[in-house]
Amino acid sequence: MKKYVSLALCSMQNTLAYRLSFILNFVANFIGLIAMYCLWQAIYTGRAELSGFTWGQMQSYLLITFFVNSMLSYYSESSITNKIIDGSVMMDLLRPIQFQKARLAESLGSCVLEGLLSCLLIGLAAVFTLGIQLPNDAATLLLFLFSMASSILVKFGIVYLSALLCFWTTSGFGIYWARTSITNLLSGALVPLAFFPSWLQSTAMLLPFQGIVNTPVTIGLGMTEGIEALRLIGIQWVWIVLLWLLGKWMWSGAVRQITIHGG
Amino acid sequence: MSLIETKGLRKVFRQAVKEPGLAGAVKHLFTQRYRDKSAVEGIDLTIEEGETVAYVGPNGAGKSTTIKMLSGVLVPSGGEIRVDGLVPHKQRMENAQRIGAVFGQRTQLWWDIPVRESLGLLRDIYQVPPETFKRNMDAFTELLGMEDFLHLSARKLSLGQRMRADLAAALLHDPKIVYLDEPTIGLDVAVKHRIRDFIKEMNRNKGTTMLLTTHDLGDIEDLCERLIIIDQGRIIYDGKLREVKDAFARERTIHMQLSSPIPEAESLFRDLPDVRVVRPAEDQGASSLSVRFDRFRCTASDIVKRLMNRGEVVDFRIDEPSIEEIIRRVYEGQLDSESLLLAGRGSA
Amino acid sequence: MTIKNSPRRILYLYWRLYSQQLKAMMEYSADFYIMIGAAALTQITGFLFLWVVFSRIPDIQGWGLWEIAFMYAAIYVSEGFGSLFFEGTWRMLRLVNLGELDRYLVRPVPIVLQIFCTGIGMNGLGNIVIGGAIIAMSLSPIDIVWNLQTIFMALLMFASAMTIRVAINLAANCSAFWIRSSGNAFPIMIHNLGEFAKYPITIFSMGLQLLISIVVPFAFVSFFPAAALFGREPWSWWGWLSPLVAAYFVGLALLILRIGLRRYESAGN
Repeated sequence: MKKYVSLALCSMQNTLAYRLSFILNFVANFIGLIAMYCLWQAIYTGRAELSGFTWGQMQSYLLITFFVNSMLSYYSESSITNKIIDGSVMMDLLRPIQFQKARLAESLGSCVLEGLLSCLLIGLAAVFTLGIQLPNDAATLLLFLFSMASSILVKFGIVYLSALLCFWTTSGFGIYWARTSITNLLSGALVPLAFFPSWLQSTAMLLPFQGIVNTPVTIGLGMTEGIEALRLIGIQWVWIVLLWLLGKWMWSGAVRQITIHGG
Repeated sequence: MSLIETKGLRKVFRQAVKEPGLAGAVKHLFTQRYRDKSAVEGIDLTIEEGETVAYVGPNGAGKSTTIKMLSGVLVPSGGEIRVDGLVPHKQRMENAQRIGAVFGQRTQLWWDIPVRESLGLLRDIYQVPPETFKRNMDAFTELLGMEDFLHLSARKLSLGQRMRADLAAALLHDPKIVYLDEPTIGLDVAVKHRIRDFIKEMNRNKGTTMLLTTHDLGDIEDLCERLIIIDQGRIIYDGKLREVKDAFARERTIHMQLSSPIPEAESLFRDLPDVRVVRPAEDQGASSLSVRFDRFRCTASDIVKRLMNRGEVVDFRIDEPSIEEIIRRVYEGQLDSESLLLAGRGSA
Repeated sequence: MTIKNSPRRILYLYWRLYSQQLKAMMEYSADFYIMIGAAALTQITGFLFLWVVFSRIPDIQGWGLWEIAFMYAAIYVSEGFGSLFFEGTWRMLRLVNLGELDRYLVRPVPIVLQIFCTGIGMNGLGNIVIGGAIIAMSLSPIDIVWNLQTIFMALLMFASAMTIRVAINLAANCSAFWIRSSGNAFPIMIHNLGEFAKYPITIFSMGLQLLISIVVPFAFVSFFPAAALFGREPWSWWGWLSPLVAAYFVGLALLILRIGLRRYESAGN
């Protein structure tokens, strides 16, 4: 356990070393948030409510989505794919650590900084737009925070699987792009799942992606409560376990790939 | 007018000074402080057509920086520079047409396409006439032994093959001047000889002017008549290779094999200036002995005579310092630049 | 011997350098398809987003689904154009940091041309195909009077839009000469300003409108051409400014590159 904690700390330090890149990356994503904010503002002009979302809720939705998307950002994701692409994964095989656990530890380490920085930006945005509503009873707030934490683990599961695909390619960009666009659509990051036609919405609910954005958002906005909220969190955890096992299984196949490459 | 002329050539690099910590990083975003680092400080250089010049110095002395300014890659911070009448960084394209360059470990070739096609692409880039291209390709393939790897991509070449292909690439358009930055670094002896022969051949037959930086003293002895030593951005010696040897190969060492040890041999030479007795470390007090002396202040026979009075000399050998040793001592700061400059001026 | 860089020679060299890159790329065919597919996928999901939103509302400030889809796709087509034919701009960081620009500087070929041909982004093909399809689809529901003038204007604006995109990419990536430690983060940030041009610029504050019309003129890639083509007042005449904006930004990008090259320090110093 201790070695994974050190890995997490190391990853935090590393992130700090590349802080300029890290901060600029954040600002780049923040530009996307502003564009979406203005678009929705225009859409809500003259409307009180759309698909069950008021303008106030939509603002909170945008900020929560930004937060969730900032966790395990491109920055952390590319550090996993780069390990595979540039072959430094070999070094990890020489050490007494598990690749999957080590990557999780590192990702969580940089998540701490990602979380801090996005809270700062969201705080600024909230001051200017006065648009964030958080649950006002303690139980819902707790469920919301827990579902947020779980969403990071669901995202890790998906990111890890797609990163492992890089064992079969020579560049990580294509896979990253494909992964992001699918995740954005099906998690409800692009538009709340409630806006989808019902067939697409029910398909999305059967897949792991909705655990990343839809679950924390609907709990945080008070759209799902009580037992229903617990059920969604339960589904998140089913996916966390399934994706982890799938990752383990895929890794054993991928390692064989290395030995073939290495001759 | 000489082919290459520089006057007071300077290059200063700016290094950002960063303060530690997150606060420092944020601060650095707004106010940046810099420290100037001088890589080349006032170099005066004159090279005539057809010369082969070795440009040597320790790491970080400013060798590559000079070459990159001459080839138009870097913009000088000050001073004048003319290569074949052109200012390289201003008339970059015209200059590029007349020069060839091999930058050490970095290849000119396209990584993923066969060498033959890379050379074909360079033919188009330099607009080499078809007959020249054919003649040069035939000659280079033969001289450099490229037949075996012309069909391979640069990615698949060994270091020696790549360096040969790079030389061919640099000389394909019959440039007037070729800059070679560490052309033999990391190569085995056979390839080194092949490359040196090629360079000599090009210099002799086409009159190509060559300026090469190297750490390999074999390259210098084999290829160059003129030697320029640079240290900390300044030229500290510029003259004939033979003359620097005459000036600094004053020191001789006699190695002697004695039938029995001579105790306190040092006392024998007390009246002679600059004579030092050196005993091999692994052979303390035993029968071998070395004596270092200045050949202009005493003679070898004088030293041997004194020793023969005290014991029997079984065998002896006299060493003169190689150019390698002279340059090494310059690098290590044992020879000060004043005396070198004097030597250079005296010989000029 | 003097070298003449006639437009014909430039085009020929571009073709030679480009086709060699293409040959080299064929070796990694899996990546080839993944990149095309990923770009197409990104764009399709983006379009789905618009479609989902417009299934709930009739228009945004008077702009319908297909009009916004046109702007949206124009941004992607220009991105694809930049990637497919001028991807090298995105490799500047590598060229500068690893000193690979050295070998470009010793060749008698314009630097910009060599930078352009440093790579090929196959993703561009996906963007162009899907973006082109969306634009084609959007043109039929929209009422456009096609005559010689609109055709001429459309071609002029298209050429200007692509030029502006490539010039923005080049200028932004020149940051490599100044900030060497930040990866591609700065050019990506500039690239993301294109997000603002995917929609009618009237939904943004005046400051943002000026930003994407003048400072980083993405609006001339999508919004102004769309407004001109659809005859939407009061912006319809702005489209005629496209060539001027293109010339201005190309000049700016080349100036930045020149200043950057003066600062270029090669590697190992």
